[in-house]
Amino acid sequence: MIFQENATLQEKLAILADAAKYDVACTSSGVERKSKEGHLGNSFASGICHSFAADGRCISLLKILFTNECIYNCKYCANRASNDVPRATFTPDEVCTLTVEFYRRNYIEGLFLSSGIVDTPDYTMELICQALRKLRREYRFYGYVHCKAIPGASPDLVEEAGWYADRMSVNLELPTEQGLQQLAPNKTRKKILTPMRQIQNGVAESREVLGMKGGNQSAYWHTQKRLGRALPGQAGNYAQAKPSLSEAGNPGAGKMMRKPGIAKAEKPEVEKNAEKPGSAKADYSRREELARGSEIATYESKETGGMGKSEAGGILLLSGNGTNTGLAQWSRIDTSRGFVPAGQSTQMIVGASGESDYEIMAVTEALYQRFDLKRVFYSAFVNVNQDVTLPAVEGQPLRRREHRLYQADFLLRYYGYQASELLSERRPFFNTYLDPKCDWALGHLEHFPVEVATASYDTLLRVPGIGAKSASRIVKARRTGRLDYQALKGMGVVMKRAIYFIICNGKKMYDFLKIDEDYITRNLLENDKNVMEGFGEKVTYKQLTLFDDFQFGN
Amino acid sequence: MSDKPVRVYQCEDNISGVLSAVYEAGISGYGYKYIKIQPLAANEVYELELFTEFVRVESSDEKVNSVLDAVRNKISARAYSFVMCAALSTYPDRGDAIYQFLTYGFSMGEKVCDAMQIPWVKRAFEIRRRVFNEAHFFREFIRFREVQKDPALLVATIEPEHHVLPIIMEHFSDRFAGEWFIILDKGHGEAAFHQKNGDWEVRILTPEEERMLAELGEQREEYVELWKTFFKHIAIPDRKNEKLQRNMLPLHYRKHLTEFMEE
Repeated sequence: MIFQENATLQEKLAILADAAKYDVACTSSGVERKSKEGHLGNSFASGICHSFAADGRCISLLKILFTNECIYNCKYCANRASNDVPRATFTPDEVCTLTVEFYRRNYIEGLFLSSGIVDTPDYTMELICQALRKLRREYRFYGYVHCKAIPGASPDLVEEAGWYADRMSVNLELPTEQGLQQLAPNKTRKKILTPMRQIQNGVAESREVLGMKGGNQSAYWHTQKRLGRALPGQAGNYAQAKPSLSEAGNPGAGKMMRKPGIAKAEKPEVEKNAEKPGSAKADYSRREELARGSEIATYESKETGGMGKSEAGGILLLSGNGTNTGLAQWSRIDTSRGFVPAGQSTQMIVGASGESDYEIMAVTEALYQRFDLKRVFYSAFVNVNQDVTLPAVEGQPLRRREHRLYQADFLLRYYGYQASELLSERRPFFNTYLDPKCDWALGHLEHFPVEVATASYDTLLRVPGIGAKSASRIVKARRTGRLDYQALKGMGVVMKRAIYFIICNGKKMYDFLKIDEDYITRNLLENDKNVMEGFGEKVTYKQLTLFDDFQFGN
Repeated sequence: MSDKPVRVYQCEDNISGVLSAVYEAGISGYGYKYIKIQPLAANEVYELELFTEFVRVESSDEKVNSVLDAVRNKISARAYSFVMCAALSTYPDRGDAIYQFLTYGFSMGEKVCDAMQIPWVKRAFEIRRRVFNEAHFFREFIRFREVQKDPALLVATIEPEHHVLPIIMEHFSDRFAGEWFIILDKGHGEAAFHQKNGDWEVRILTPEEERMLAELGEQREEYVELWKTFFKHIAIPDRKNEKLQRNMLPLHYRKHLTEFMEE
């Protein structure tokens, strides 16, 4: 092992940025906070990117490890114990100075602090806490902070970090438990999910006490609420849960998750939606099954000690009677920023352990539903260690796979799709050539065309080429007058995709357009020349799908 | 169509000029179909057209305030942001966009902002979006240098297309409330000055002041190298993708970004 005992700050920064660069969660969103007198900084709800690195990824936070020394030997990781790489460790003051001075120059939006495991998980978590404590108290930094919770660290330390951080993340590392056993033998699923659950409960408590400032709800939560769907793992069962909650004499949990009146307002919407293309006919049994396939759901039933129904388990935990004792440091620490107000995220490596897209999406969905995550990040596997036991991967196809997963992730969070609508056990991989939304639409042509002048917001969202912004602009604009195709263009609708799926005032944009799978596919792909490189001119959708299965199918 | 000549209101090429012209056009009652607004820079030559009459507008604060008050009180705060963004933009048709937008606005009320079927409303919306987008870019892609210590002074240079300083100062005056700082808008010869724990103002600079500030903003300091080191090492070599980088951060924004500057 190469130690850089007397490394300069610049050398350390080089080593510890290098060591952190494979971490993908570098967003600075989720909390709006004005400045405070005598402090430096604020936070902007939608996040701010400050630069873009040579790989095209956004640089928002000063993303560094506290140290890249590590006692673990995870096979995929550049910092594993058996690797012969330069090692370095910051002091807490160095982390603070870099953060503050970079921030003052508007290089960054805040700090992203992770670490290799030194000595024990507790010792490592304490190092992270030391740095953050100093940053918030002595350096009076009021900007954005993201930090890792180290699996296996004591709940006390995880909680303390949570009071300094805006967002926390625990890395899921790999989508399946089996993959974790093979590639990260020092970590277990239980150790990863325990702090995740603790943070989830802490955020819920902070939200209950402090309101919005204590932590706003995730996009996934808002989408489910709009569609009137229940969340199996959480107490937010908008339509059904309320009566049972009050019967159980637990008004606190009900109040926390929803305000009275929502159920009434949402109800007609639910019924309406049930008739609309692929929208919210809440299919619990199927989703339960899907989630049961992953250990995410299993964890829950184990943890709650035979509560059986996981929904009951979630409520039990949230009401504070479960295994978790809630936040303990209210009186000891400055709690004015709230506990992890920007919520938590996680990430997993894609393509290192032979998992399917279907498995990944099922795990993702379970995490949103049961652990109230804000984001799930995917990281295309890079074999940095040239480890022979790991798959040799080609970057290009894997990066496209990663891209498809992110697209699908947005469909879950903002568009109200369910994992089981996009993939199935029989068709476990995304189409490489078409994005998941187009792919879904082509498989469900019976729902199209959609009449733009009358369709509901959620029906519009299902149209390829119409996104959340343009759908809401359409809904607003048609209240003021008649719509036409010319007007749609200015609203951000991507016409080259949308024209096959919409009519406006009963008319197609061009007479020759037809609702036909092959026809639409050919035209969509022609718009995207890169995708078609090397596949000839007249490939049909069916051929592509076959080809796709052939390529990834087993 | 009657044979009434088109009337062009010519005004100073700045916010108060454009809004004063909107005021004159509004109270004239000449008819919105026959009115155009043309901001002219000092000594700018324009083409005389047949069947057109030209009216020279004097700028005044009363005219400006009269327009802005009417928008706020009779339409909505959102409409006000449409008008202000257009006024801060540099599009030659911005006066027309504001005037026509308001003509609809005073009869439709606050829902005018959603009426994207109306071409001039769509145009006003588009201008606002562009100005906001550019302002957001300059919340992201702007770098300060500490050019002096005790008291510390931070200086940054930008070259935006529109006059985004007032918009981004809302952001930075909160974020860096406890700092002395200056942002120089090089293309427009203006700068925003922020006092530690105090107010800020945007001022038009003399060429001499502008030159001095621009030089100051390129002064060397110790964190430049550290930032460049971080910038270089945070990229994943296996994923190198300059095209994506260019899409996300176009070359013309890089001119004043520390990490892309040679020194």
